[in-house]
Amino acid sequence: MLLGIGFLYLIWQYISDIILLIVFAFLFTTILLPAVDWLEGKLRSRGLAVLVTVLSLIAGFVIFLSSFGMQLSNEAMVTYHKFEKEELITVIDNLRSNFTGILPEFAKEILESSSDATSSADKISGYVKTVLGSLSQLTSAIGSFLFFATMILIFTIIILYEYHNFKRSLVSFIPNKYFELGLRLIRNIEKQVSSYLHGQLLAASSVAILSIFGLWLLNVFMDANLSLIIFIGIIAGLANLIPLIGPFVGMVPAVLVAVMNNIDTGAVSHYLFNVTPIPSPFFIFDIIFVFLIVQQIDNNLVTPKLIGQSVGIHPILVIIALLIGANLMGAIGMLMAVPAAGTIKAVSKEIMWAVRNTHLL
Amino acid sequence: MKNALWENIFRGISKELSKEVLTLKKVPVFEGLEPKELSEIEKLIHHRTYKPDEVVFRRNAPGEGMYIILRGKVDILTESGEGTSSVVASLKEGDFFGDLSLLDKEPRSATALAKDHTTLLGFFRPDLTALLKRKPQLGVKILMNLASVIGERLRKTNDLLSQMQSKNISATDT
Repeated sequence: MLLGIGFLYLIWQYISDIILLIVFAFLFTTILLPAVDWLEGKLRSRGLAVLVTVLSLIAGFVIFLSSFGMQLSNEAMVTYHKFEKEELITVIDNLRSNFTGILPEFAKEILESSSDATSSADKISGYVKTVLGSLSQLTSAIGSFLFFATMILIFTIIILYEYHNFKRSLVSFIPNKYFELGLRLIRNIEKQVSSYLHGQLLAASSVAILSIFGLWLLNVFMDANLSLIIFIGIIAGLANLIPLIGPFVGMVPAVLVAVMNNIDTGAVSHYLFNVTPIPSPFFIFDIIFVFLIVQQIDNNLVTPKLIGQSVGIHPILVIIALLIGANLMGAIGMLMAVPAAGTIKAVSKEIMWAVRNTHLL
Repeated sequence: MKNALWENIFRGISKELSKEVLTLKKVPVFEGLEPKELSEIEKLIHHRTYKPDEVVFRRNAPGEGMYIILRGKVDILTESGEGTSSVVASLKEGDFFGDLSLLDKEPRSATALAKDHTTLLGFFRPDLTALLKRKPQLGVKILMNLASVIGERLRKTNDLLSQMQSKNISATDT
């Protein structure tokens, strides 16, 4: 046993990527399996069912990314042209003076003491150099991401096609004594992970829809001048899949777009919802407020209904699981922490059940 | 002379049925299924081998599905309160047991014990559930067969019960 753990520790750095790849492929398989099984019943061919499901997924992803990319590049071009103008420095200085004008005295002092002699234009050229310097790193990162994504796709297709055969081969290794207990355990883990993932996806969809609606309200009633709200909503929904930090990550694109769109307008002197006496530069606090309301609706109404008892882990244990996940694998670890904790809970529950009700253990 | 290449090529379209399919064909739960459908079931079943006196399942253990005897013998035992057990049925090749577990999640009501070197074919509830999604027509055929097996068993139990009741009544009359 100890020898095995030692060997695993030695080869971990070589196999950790492959394990992560397989785990991701299994997560995608769990999400897509009901659709593939259902389609197989309709199309009478598993190969065709896998092909239709995977192609639909890829098509949806490509349409989302390409239209988002196009709109984002248009936005970036518009902002770039704003920067190209001679009055760039004046715009930034005006913004600074407008912003500091509405701040209380103590905040002004802090800002003045922290600002150095470097002009805004110098700072921006410095940023551009850094960005150019990082471009090669970015290209290699995109390359390795594409390779990783392709491998996950290939693994997912194979596992989806052979899922029932794989499961059959896996259970053939269970000793006779524990065979039916093993089948029960596998079924319960499948159920637990699948209901958690589908619940999470539904909760993410609801966050996306609510965020889009909230940002649309800001546009209609507050003239917030926010573009790309559908994409911002979808990203907020996806970010919501990562517990605790996800909701904050989801706000970032909205805030960036708000700054980009309103950099040359008077939005910097705007007050929260035009009523509350808190200055809300570029509608940032309004956006944060909208996201906080969305989070409250999601946490108190939607998630308890959708996910309910599917995992049923105490919040303290969720936080501990998230911290362990973050320590082991960063953001990906956080994403997988709760389903992993749910699986451990299902396994322990089954073992306890077996100890109490059978003479097997 | 036999040619391995041609044998392999035509293996898929061979009309010869395997021993497993022939055994399944005789089981009432799979009655009336086409050879192609039986081959589909063959892909779902689990082969389990047992040594003499090895327990297949124990009373109160989780029941996940039914077993069909491909080779060997199995005894079904019920346990009395004092730790002794008595054989209620001795099953042979082609017989099946545990079929109720395909429908409900109740624990096993008796213990099954292999009496010989035994090979069993296991057909389990998760596979039946998946089959109902993937191939609903085949799944429904199996469910209908299961219903008629259980219905027949209920009818026999009712007959037995009424026979016993009439015996009791005639005994009290005399």
